[in-house]
Amino acid sequence: MPSDGIIVRVSGVHKFFTRGSEQVDVLNDLNLEVPEGEFLALMGPSGSGKTTLLNLIAGLDRPSQGEVRVGGQLISKMSESQLARWRTRNIGFVFQFYHLLPVMTAYENVELPLLLLPLSAAQRRRQVLTTLELVGLTNRDRHRPGQLSGGQQQRVGIARAIVTDPSLIVADEPTGDLDAKSADEILDLLCELREAMQKTILLVTHDARAAQRAHRIQYLDKGKLVSTEIELPRAS
Amino acid sequence: MFKYILLIGKNLRRNLLRTTLTALGTMVLVLVVTLVWSVLYLLDGVMAEKGANLKAIVTERWQVPSQMPFAYARTLGEGAARNAGDVRPQDSMTWQFFGGSLEPNKRTREDLVFAFGMEPKKLATMMDDLDNLPAGQSQQLQANIRLMEEKRQAILIGRQRLAEVNKRVGERIKLYGVNFREIDLEFDIIGSLPPGRYDQFAVMNRDYLNEALDNYPRTHAGKKHPMADKSLNLVWVRVPDREQFSRVADQIARSPLYSDPAVKCETASSGIAAFLDAYRDLIWGLRWLLSPAILVTLSLVISNAISISVRERRLEMAVLKVLGFRPGQLLILVLGEALLIGISAGLLSAGATYFVVNKWLGGVALPIGFFPVFFIPVNALWWGVGIGTVTSLSGSIMPALSAGTVKVSDVFSKVA
Repeated sequence: MPSDGIIVRVSGVHKFFTRGSEQVDVLNDLNLEVPEGEFLALMGPSGSGKTTLLNLIAGLDRPSQGEVRVGGQLISKMSESQLARWRTRNIGFVFQFYHLLPVMTAYENVELPLLLLPLSAAQRRRQVLTTLELVGLTNRDRHRPGQLSGGQQQRVGIARAIVTDPSLIVADEPTGDLDAKSADEILDLLCELREAMQKTILLVTHDARAAQRAHRIQYLDKGKLVSTEIELPRAS
Repeated sequence: MFKYILLIGKNLRRNLLRTTLTALGTMVLVLVVTLVWSVLYLLDGVMAEKGANLKAIVTERWQVPSQMPFAYARTLGEGAARNAGDVRPQDSMTWQFFGGSLEPNKRTREDLVFAFGMEPKKLATMMDDLDNLPAGQSQQLQANIRLMEEKRQAILIGRQRLAEVNKRVGERIKLYGVNFREIDLEFDIIGSLPPGRYDQFAVMNRDYLNEALDNYPRTHAGKKHPMADKSLNLVWVRVPDREQFSRVADQIARSPLYSDPAVKCETASSGIAAFLDAYRDLIWGLRWLLSPAILVTLSLVISNAISISVRERRLEMAVLKVLGFRPGQLLILVLGEALLIGISAGLLSAGATYFVVNKWLGGVALPIGFFPVFFIPVNALWWGVGIGTVTSLSGSIMPALSAGTVKVSDVFSKVA
């Protein structure tokens, strides 16, 4: 971890795609810093580049230009295999549509990232059960995704994201597929986890209510951070 | 590793119907390849030239089937050795084919018994596969040989043939000559031949046939039987090595005793190869067209199934990448699925083929020459595994590469 306490540092990042002969700029000279332990919400209209930025920070994509550092490591220069290894330990990803593996139980889905780490079966079991308890799903561990509600599936998704104890959790519209009550529960859970485990959370959302839970909101439009960041009172 | 296998197993369980159909397709194709390769394996085995302990066949040079006078038998059995320095074979055997029908007026295959007329004692020393029988079978054969030497009318019939003509050991039968017209012989069935390659054949004492031919003129106004001078079909001689074989073959070729008809001496393998020459195109087709075509089809079946599976799971592959699975690990997962299907189905199919064909059916009837029944060699179990491995690997490599190179951002942008 860098001594300045900045866990995510995005410097001068450009990201463009080519569509035929046309170049489409998605992110344009973007700079962003996220201090450790912060809950940051990224908002903006569709196509503004929120998910692309999230993908760059999570090491799922590479910038066309510029640098992305997470936890002091220059991830924009890592190879795909290095990135994969790095993601296992450092990033927890929460998806809008949960993306649980349907053939596996909740327990097995949560255990999946641990299979990549040098842990014994007993260690994995302990870690999975602890995490399921954290998200309140101890009694659902044998259920498959199809047997769980949307809110419960998202809890499994969150458990899978935090089971390797990553320092950064990135969540792409985690409440986008949920009703208001379930969405609130998931946001409550994310806040509790941040406070209890001192995680840094990066949340992409269209939902202003969800963004209100964050310490800070950044707006993106046409690939640029366009407005002054909004400091919100930190939830205790 | 165990974790991977569990994951692979779960993925295969996801669409049980497709997995089962792919495995069944693989099993059927492995079954066909196993049968074809078994035939080729046997033919290759009998056509492969031995370096030592060679068996040579002496036959009529210009005619198939070979029909030589029985007068040739003694000297050919000695390798036409006349002078002091000439090479004599270690052992020899004559074959006279006698085909007879159980019904005088109905000469269909169901009623036919095909017997090798030979010296009974040669059964134990010169017949392929009968010279290395298990102890129990060997003792029984020796007892039957003694009986055949004492009693010329004795006959041994292969188990399958015995069952097919609905006769039992101990019964007396009369065979009406088919290739030796008007030579009708009565036999006492004293036993059956050891199970295996002679299941469809019978063995009789050659003296009984020759005696009947000798007696023929007495009942036919002094006229010889038309086959009297054509009753010897083959002479087998055993020599220790290729050099001795060449010398014996040379002695026979130079001998003035065998001018009408002329004879030739060749190794058993080259004799069989010459006989199989008529089937050359068929064997070539089996080896170079049918087998590769099946293997390619098998690869395509597996490739198709795995490709569909990978295409359906692109999103899951992307999720696994997000969780930290490396491209190589995804590649192994997909290859593992194909390998698990291919190897299991291949081994199961080859194993089932081995037991069903060898233990249950008692061989596959594919009458080519003197190979009435083909057995599946034990090597077929490895062929099953090998075919499963190679075809599943070749069939799944492209889908596996495609799974390994899934671009996460592309997949999720489509989902969004």
